[in-house]
Amino acid sequence: MTAPVMVPEPEVDESVEYARPWKVIVWDDPINLMSYVAFVFQKLFGYSKEKAHRLMMEVHVEGRAVVSSGTREKVEFDVFRLHEHGLWATMEKDE
Amino acid sequence: MSRFRYEGGAVAVDLPSGEQEMLSQVLSDLRDLLIKGGDNTLRRLKPPAHPDSSEAESAYREMIDDDLLRGRLEAIELVESTLSGAELDIAGAEAWMQSLNSLRLVLGEQLALAGVDLVNDKLPDTASAALYEWIGWLLEQLIDAASQAQDH
Repeated sequence: MTAPVMVPEPEVDESVEYARPWKVIVWDDPINLMSYVAFVFQKLFGYSKEKAHRLMMEVHVEGRAVVSSGTREKVEFDVFRLHEHGLWATMEKDE
Repeated sequence: MSRFRYEGGAVAVDLPSGEQEMLSQVLSDLRDLLIKGGDNTLRRLKPPAHPDSSEAESAYREMIDDDLLRGRLEAIELVESTLSGAELDIAGAEAWMQSLNSLRLVLGEQLALAGVDLVNDKLPDTASAALYEWIGWLLEQLIDAASQAQDH
């Protein structure tokens, strides 16, 4: 069971590599229910119902949406939580 | 009748006994599948984080796969212990949601591997398609009840 997790504020890292922003992308898939995807965005990221719904629709219509961003560590943790919930999430460096 | 209801700050689970037995069976199958690992139908439970870098991907997998498995097994356990009826808090509802969704991802992948286009095709008249639809129906009700709990 996933306990509610507090997202720690990313610590400032001296190295340029880690200071570079990364982003989390969620991809459309044919199985996850739309209501489920919106609920997960709301729950994991604390987004409002409206924002969660808008992002879910973006995934559905555009095929993908950026749902969060930050340091590599933060983004990796977000991806992990999305994977726990069965969403198709990847991460990439924001060039 | 609704299987999940928002009631007094909690999500009430109320499944007919036949459905409890069915879920208990498929959850037990899912646990065996997860522990055994390696099955094609598990693909959607382990999407890649780094599709373009096998090096980064294997580091990610090494870091998270055990946690991912442990979390899923714990969620299944919570569902099993509340199958016969319970009042779930948000964390409990989330464990139910994750488990029902994991079942759907496995069943959906089975259908996809059998050649069903899940977006465009009508689902075949098979037991696994019926199970897939039934679990989706349960999940929709649960999300509805959990959303009300979340809003309060």
